[in-house]
Amino acid sequence: MATTTDRRAFCLLASAACLAVAPAFHGVALAQDNGIRLGIVAPMSGPNARYGAFSLRGAQLAAKEINAAGGIDGRKIEVFSADSQGTPVEGVSATRRLIAQDKVDFVIGDVSSSVTLAMQPVVEDAGVLLINAASSNPKITYAAGVGGFKWSFRNYPTDENRALIVAQYAAEKRGFTKFAVLSVDSDYGRSAIEFTKKYLPRFKGQILTEDYYKEGEVDFRSVLAKIRDSGAQAIIMYGLADTTPIIARQMTEVGLAGKIPLIGNGEFNTEKTIKSAPKALEGAVEAAAWLPAWDSPKSKGFVTRFTAEYREAPNNHAYVHWETVNLLGKAVEAAKSIDRTKVRDALAKIKYDSAVGEVTFDDHNQAKLPMILLQIEDGKPVVKGAYSADIDYPR
Amino acid sequence: MLFQISEQIVNGIVTGSVYAIVAVGMTMIFGVLRAINFAHGEYYMVGTFGAWVAIEFFDLPYPIAVAAGVIATAFVALVVGKFVMQRMVGAPAEAGVLATLGIALILQNTVILVFGGGYKFFEGGYIEPVTIFGVSLAEQRLLIIVIAVLVFFGLELLVTYSRMGKAMRAVSQNVDCCAVVGIDVRKVVVTTFILGAALAGLSGVLTAPVNVSVYGGMGELITFKTLPIIIMGGLGNVRGTFFAAMILGIAESLVATYVGLQFRDTVGFATLMLVLMWRPHGLFSAQARY
Repeated sequence: MATTTDRRAFCLLASAACLAVAPAFHGVALAQDNGIRLGIVAPMSGPNARYGAFSLRGAQLAAKEINAAGGIDGRKIEVFSADSQGTPVEGVSATRRLIAQDKVDFVIGDVSSSVTLAMQPVVEDAGVLLINAASSNPKITYAAGVGGFKWSFRNYPTDENRALIVAQYAAEKRGFTKFAVLSVDSDYGRSAIEFTKKYLPRFKGQILTEDYYKEGEVDFRSVLAKIRDSGAQAIIMYGLADTTPIIARQMTEVGLAGKIPLIGNGEFNTEKTIKSAPKALEGAVEAAAWLPAWDSPKSKGFVTRFTAEYREAPNNHAYVHWETVNLLGKAVEAAKSIDRTKVRDALAKIKYDSAVGEVTFDDHNQAKLPMILLQIEDGKPVVKGAYSADIDYPR
Repeated sequence: MLFQISEQIVNGIVTGSVYAIVAVGMTMIFGVLRAINFAHGEYYMVGTFGAWVAIEFFDLPYPIAVAAGVIATAFVALVVGKFVMQRMVGAPAEAGVLATLGIALILQNTVILVFGGGYKFFEGGYIEPVTIFGVSLAEQRLLIIVIAVLVFFGLELLVTYSRMGKAMRAVSQNVDCCAVVGIDVRKVVVTTFILGAALAGLSGVLTAPVNVSVYGGMGELITFKTLPIIIMGGLGNVRGTFFAAMILGIAESLVATYVGLQFRDTVGFATLMLVLMWRPHGLFSAQARY
């Protein structure tokens, strides 16, 4: 009996304590209202967690740098992170949490196209500015700007740009016409292939086999053997960075290494990936929004500072989030206010010098910016130049 | 064409061997506990992480890392077995489901908390390809097949001849009678649990070099694949599990090649449904348990 009473007393006390502390937290939140409240939605757990960690670190580094330089018109950026786990359901609840609980005015996210597509209506209802920095499904901006959603922007090239640039390079510079497809089974992987198909006929290219893998798939041997026997000259892969080493290693195993290169996107160029199967990755071609090897002072400066801060070289996701926070900062500066509507209008009109080139937004709130193309030669990524391709919006 | 099919069958046997080692542990645990261990894939994950830590932080060679992974799994299983699984004897089935699901979450998130949620790169193992009858395989895959056969041979011997094995069979048949004749049921339960979990861990360590990536959530898929296998094999049936695992491995491999990789994960449950329609008690359940 005594223990029951004790437990009850403890529970009562605990709840009382919670109630007492809750308003205190609220007070803290209100005290910083003149700051810039920025939410980052990214996969912090699950198979895409690596991207999420890079994204958040990139954004945090930018915020830290801006704050250290005195903020924007004296306003400090405060970063709130929410885990999307890379799934639309969690992404939506993460976004709602940021808006309702953390009271953010701006959201950057998500890495995964499927999640971003699900987040768009949520920010639209709340009237919160969403800048996507890392997902590439064209639908995101088809549906934005004059397409419908007024609060969604994207500062990242789309799969359509990429598909065209990659197909053109593979056909014209490498002379490939027969392709096998091995992409991730997601909005990103599927739509990249859809657009590749749209542009391949222009280069007399054809697809011989088509396979999609689930996130977390580890056994590619059957499908690689099929590709080997199909007569394809290259594998078009829009995949996940973490899966690339597995595929590359199994390519070595089935005797594909050095014979059929990977073409597309999926972090073929990081040191770790190349080391996992150097022979399989030789000749791989990748188009990316940004790469650490990109030679510009702004880009090099970012790489140095990021590496110093986190003792790990940045990847594409770290860069795009870093650049997007800076871009948002410039928009706030131009708007001379953190009023959401003013910042949104300023963003639509912005001319921003990124590390890769000039960024402007079109009437679908899609950034116009170049992509970098590289090829792996002798185990080292070699930059082949920056290309841009304009999007034909469906009418 | 014929060559291609035979190559896919070899691939299927490799995959099947991995499933078999994981599934046999789960089926044994079911045998004595009457509980489906939903945390089984997590022991696979713990084993892999144990070996990864040994290689990454202590620079140990792969064979020692294998031992480290298995020992780590056995240790975790000992703790879980003592504090959770032992209490499941005679408990309703739902208790086992909830407890093991909870353990799965705890193990997964502990690993994510300690090592981060991202993929880790597993270095080590024997990944050089060798060609046998024209089929190119990593040496590691041959090792997996050999070890799977040894494991099943060992288990057959264990459950048929050893005292503990006989006790396991007895407990799987009737817990109350075992208690009456003086068999230490709790000890049998914990031993079986540790053995089953350690086998899952072993399988994880063996596949890590060919699967390359290691991450906290990697066990989920394994649990998901193991369930249809143990049901097909006839719950609690060691030999049945082996054949069911091989059937699933080969079926998956053929589907991935001739239908499409994206349909691979549906094979397990589709096959399971077909089997259950035809034989509601599993493929091999006519044989004695163990």
